Amino acid sequence: MSAKHKGKGPQALTANELREGFVVWLTKNFEWSLEFEHALLTEDVDMIEKMRVFGEAQENENIVVGVYFIDVDPDSGKPVRYREKFRVSGPTL
Amino acid sequence: MYRYDEFDHEVVQSRVKQFRNQVERRLKGALTEEQFRPLRLQNGLYLQLHAYMLRVAVPYGTLNSTQLRQLAMIADKYDRGYGHITTRQNMQFNWPELTDVPDILQDLADVQMHCFQTSGNCIRNVTSDPYAGAIADEVADPRPTAELLRQWSTMHPEFAFLPRKFKIAVVASPNDRAVIRAHDIGIEIKKNANGEIGYHILVGGGLGRTPVIGQTLQPFLAREGLLPYLEAVMRVYNRYGRRDNKYKARIKILVTETGIDEFRAQVDAEYETLTPSDIAVSQDEIDRISSYFTGPNYENLSDESEALKDQIKNDDDFSGWYETNIMPHKTPGYAIVNISLKPLDIAPGDITSGQMRAVSDLADQYSFGEIRTTHSQNIVLPHVKKDDLPALYQALKAEKLAVDNIGLISDIICCPGMDYCALATARSIPVSQAIAERFSDKTREKAIGEMQIKISGCINACGHHHVGHIGILGLEKAGVEFYQVKLGGDSSENTAVGDITGPGFSQDELVDGIERMVDFYLNNKKDNERFIDSYRRLGLGAFKEVLYADR
Ligand code: SF4
Repeated sequence: MSAKHKGKGPQALTANELREGFVVWLTKNFEWSLEFEHALLTEDVDMIEKMRVFGEAQENENIVVGVYFIDVDPDSGKPVRYREKFRVSGPTL
Repeated sequence: MYRYDEFDHEVVQSRVKQFRNQVERRLKGALTEEQFRPLRLQNGLYLQLHAYMLRVAVPYGTLNSTQLRQLAMIADKYDRGYGHITTRQNMQFNWPELTDVPDILQDLADVQMHCFQTSGNCIRNVTSDPYAGAIADEVADPRPTAELLRQWSTMHPEFAFLPRKFKIAVVASPNDRAVIRAHDIGIEIKKNANGEIGYHILVGGGLGRTPVIGQTLQPFLAREGLLPYLEAVMRVYNRYGRRDNKYKARIKILVTETGIDEFRAQVDAEYETLTPSDIAVSQDEIDRISSYFTGPNYENLSDESEALKDQIKNDDDFSGWYETNIMPHKTPGYAIVNISLKPLDIAPGDITSGQMRAVSDLADQYSFGEIRTTHSQNIVLPHVKKDDLPALYQALKAEKLAVDNIGLISDIICCPGMDYCALATARSIPVSQAIAERFSDKTREKAIGEMQIKISGCINACGHHHVGHIGILGLEKAGVEFYQVKLGGDSSENTAVGDITGPGFSQDELVDGIERMVDFYLNNKKDNERFIDSYRRLGLGAFKEVLYADR
């Protein structure tokens, strides 16, 4: 799977943990966090490329599955897509 | 109750071992996700929006108390203390970790359960009438047939890679409680004028993005012909069903495109090439299977219960529950009890581990240890003495399981939607709750009477919105949820796909619109008309005007 980003504006890298299955985001220390607030948000193309390489490697090393970039709204700092907002907030109940 | 035989036992145990090994290889990297995915799906393990989800098969919605207790244990030990009943009578756990799943499968195998046929392009877990073997209106018990189909379809090598998933439902009563006309194959067990039992076979029904009502393939198929005939149907589907386009791969598309008469001719031609006796099972085997469903040792009782009568007279809460949640049993002195999993504050179909244990205990005490799940996402205790109903009611009340809304406006069928499902376009659970909240006044709810609201969080229609009296489909545009409304659908034996109304609504507008339609119905209904009857008489136009009154 390729994590190549096609989005606009700030990006975050997300995936699911392979073992637990929970949603994670990549942090600025290049670790996976269960909390979106720790996610690294960046528009820097070099950084995005580094994130991609790291993400794909982590997938190959069986740490995470389904790595991909998401668009983040620069004003709110929250994901743009509706579905991604729910991956951050979890179930309503 | 059916018991697994030696064969089932071995297959289930060896599958657990296999999967444990597959998970180990996945974690070590010997299997890639691409290789592992179909293997986990064959064991009911999905990766959903927030986490893995494990779907446990509940064959034809039949559980015993030991099994439900084990599901409670699993919910506590490996998940978050609850499970969810699906519209195909199965139970889902929303938060299992991959590393625990082999142990969960072992715990399930210990009580003769598994996750076969809950995913993938195979014949899925067969569903049936939750009142099977108990209800007064059935001509036979549909469970032996459902079990026969389970044995025939489980790991049938020819049907492991069908063009698409395949769903079969069986009922044995003119009142359809399993929506058989919305299944790939629907079977109604019938009795002819000579008193012989046979099968009315329907084919090509389905919901999803293209709702189609099943058509009659055989009006009365002789008993012994069932498996050979269905095998011929499956072969025709396997050969001609479209594999080039996922959205056209279900048998409903094949039947629609081929035409029912030509399709029948193809099945007949295929049947000619088979040796039916190779496929049909012997009478001995049928007798053996049937013997597991002979029913419990009922007491010889009068159908009148003084204790029940007194309670109905003296306790309004009880009599309200009795009115909506009890169905007539075929055995004098007994009743079928529906336990609603639709209280105001919990997602439709969710049940906590504590409630599972309570239901198991009550089943042991009052219902011969038998429990059923329903496609309406509720639970049934099938064989309760009428004398015991007052005590059972009190015990259920203590567990918040005595909600008296079966078949009413707050007994909503609702898929998990965006709260859990990776395919969702919008949330469905909060919408269901907002509707239930709006109609929470009991007197009003009972005055509205029978009402089926069904909600799906995307076009896949797991929440059966096409066949709801009011059907609701959640969609999303530019980051905003909106809801489309269908009217006049019907999931009973008079199956109908609802009429599309028009542009969608926000959640708040939707609930207001539903309330206006309900008031319109109450003000215009004639005699004992239900909402659906008034809709049929007054038509889409009249209701649409009310629904869009705000626009
Ligand atoms: S209808 Fe859509 S959102 Fe609801 S459970 Fe099915 S696939 Fe998921």
